[in-house]
Amino acid sequence: MPEQAPGVRIDGLTVVYKTAAGELPAVRDISLTLEPGTITGIVGESGSGKSTLALSLLNAVQPPGRIAAGSVEIDGLGDVVGLRGEELRKARGRHVGYVFQAAQNSLNPLKTVGKQLLDLGRSHGVEDLRGLVREAKELLGRMGLDGARVLDSHQHELSGGMRQRVGIMLALVLNAHLVVLDEPTTALDMITQANILKIVREVHAERGLTTLVITHDIGVVAEVADRLAVMYGGRLVEQGPTREVLGAPSHPYTRGLIKAIPRLVGDIDEAQALPGRPPTLTSVPDQGCVFRDRCPLRMDVCDTVDPAAVPLGSRIVACHAVNVKEHA
Amino acid sequence: MITGQGIVKTFKQRGNILGSREVRALRGVDFAIPKGGAASFIGESGCGKTTLGRIIAGLESYDEGELVIGDTAMSELKHKQRQPHFRKIQLIHQDPYSALNPTRTIHQTLHAPLSLRAKQTGRSKKWIEERAAEVLSLVGLDAGTVLARYPHQLSGGMRQRVVIARALTVDPEMLVADEAVSMIDVSLRLGILALLKDLRERLGVSVLFITHDVATARYIGGDGELYVIYRGQVVERGPVDTVIADPVHPYTQSLLSAIPVLHGLEQPGEQPVVPLEPLDQLLDDTGCLFTGRCPFRGERCAGERPLLQVTEGVPQEHACFYPERRSVIARPLSEV
Repeated sequence: MPEQAPGVRIDGLTVVYKTAAGELPAVRDISLTLEPGTITGIVGESGSGKSTLALSLLNAVQPPGRIAAGSVEIDGLGDVVGLRGEELRKARGRHVGYVFQAAQNSLNPLKTVGKQLLDLGRSHGVEDLRGLVREAKELLGRMGLDGARVLDSHQHELSGGMRQRVGIMLALVLNAHLVVLDEPTTALDMITQANILKIVREVHAERGLTTLVITHDIGVVAEVADRLAVMYGGRLVEQGPTREVLGAPSHPYTRGLIKAIPRLVGDIDEAQALPGRPPTLTSVPDQGCVFRDRCPLRMDVCDTVDPAAVPLGSRIVACHAVNVKEHA
Repeated sequence: MITGQGIVKTFKQRGNILGSREVRALRGVDFAIPKGGAASFIGESGCGKTTLGRIIAGLESYDEGELVIGDTAMSELKHKQRQPHFRKIQLIHQDPYSALNPTRTIHQTLHAPLSLRAKQTGRSKKWIEERAAEVLSLVGLDAGTVLARYPHQLSGGMRQRVVIARALTVDPEMLVADEAVSMIDVSLRLGILALLKDLRERLGVSVLFITHDVATARYIGGDGELYVIYRGQVVERGPVDTVIADPVHPYTQSLLSAIPVLHGLEQPGEQPVVPLEPLDQLLDDTGCLFTGRCPFRGERCAGERPLLQVTEGVPQEHACFYPERRSVIARPLSEV
């Protein structure tokens, strides 16, 4: 078991879904490195492929989807794309903790949290179940909950914020050091969201984790992540240190997204909507840039050639217009 | 003008043998929304803002107080007589997926209310078709491509536009938008908000915006009033920008402190307020409703309930014994 934060290297990952129109890529040729001990945030709209990418970390893409190409190397585990059966099952939970989108719906409504915890322990062959319960109580206490009471509760007795914390506890209790949080604060109130994000940051630091946060909300990433990766139409269009990307976004999509957020001070009319709408699995163009229909910087080359992800200083950007400008 | 005076709503939950439990959703709320104006209700889920929106739209009864639409007090009317008044107020739900009948085309969806109106006012079938195309163009949709489709063939943003178009078929005086953009993709949200703003400006429709996102409230109703609601009570009320820039109630300050800071673009406020974790036993009903979570509670707070009031030196109304300005919101780096 790794006692340190593992690094993750995703290389050329492509995930396709089988549809009536043939196999369509939900995630296309994505390369992303999670440095050990960092929090990376992936931002994207619905259909951008962000959840599919996160599931690939567990090699848990369900049919009709499959990983068609690429690799996901996790320190201490190797390439998870090659893992099968028992090996894969054991890796999940032990090495990679996953907090599912809407943790409120991922708990069993018929069992108390404690019983589900014991199930988790047994299925992973934990011998010291008492120790597991102790660890769970400690984690819950750390997150500001009364551990004993929560373990005795059914999910309907817990509030949204409490369930989300239970989800985080279940992801960490087997001592995983790589944690994926899929939309950790969607459907939570502002104050609860702020609480959860604070907990994510603190637990990340205290336990020495590598964390991946998937969200549609740039604000969430801005609060917690060291690095930010922006997905659009199955492609990673920009990645870099969060503050830099937010302060001076390079890709026209990132720029548009940030501009579309109404703020609390300043001229409210500066907020501008992005024209058009995001592509779906079936409407993603099969050649050229995925963003060109909504892009203010569109050039002829964008129609035919998919821009490669090119390093630009501390960032990686996939845009013809940005690259032309940089090299001019 | 739509006003509410002292609106109280209590839900009775069916209990066990020991008796039933009462949930006080609204504890005497006053509000006023001028014709063509805007108002925003903000607060956490369960604070009563949605119940208030439903009461205003005529979908929920109230136990005490009075709702006045135009010059008419609703409690004096019989159910049937109220209907034409409530028709002027249309509710836009959070979820455009469940707000449209999946077995009906957009044409059928718009046709139903329009044909009723045509019948009432003696208009022709041609008028129905024209009006359907007109309301669709008002919300930025092309009648030719949308009318024949079913809801599942449209994107979330387009569906919400259809819902708004349907609301416009009855020439409403007010739209009640309850978290109307929270299920819409981020890049499309501002488009829907801009549409609501545009309808206000062009048609003079007033908008009541119910949300937990203060910044969007500012976008739509920047010139209107902001009502901060906590556990069924308005705790702060005033012009949107005043309340956002200079909040005095600790609850408003907690809400504003919780908004994520865009590091790299913004600098966090200097005095963020983090509310205490609520413990069930502290959520009793005597005294200030926020006492249990308030980091600044004083002697008077536990025994006495502060009411919405105006005090010297504070431009907005507030319900706090110890109002104090705190710098809680993030400011753009360019201004610092």
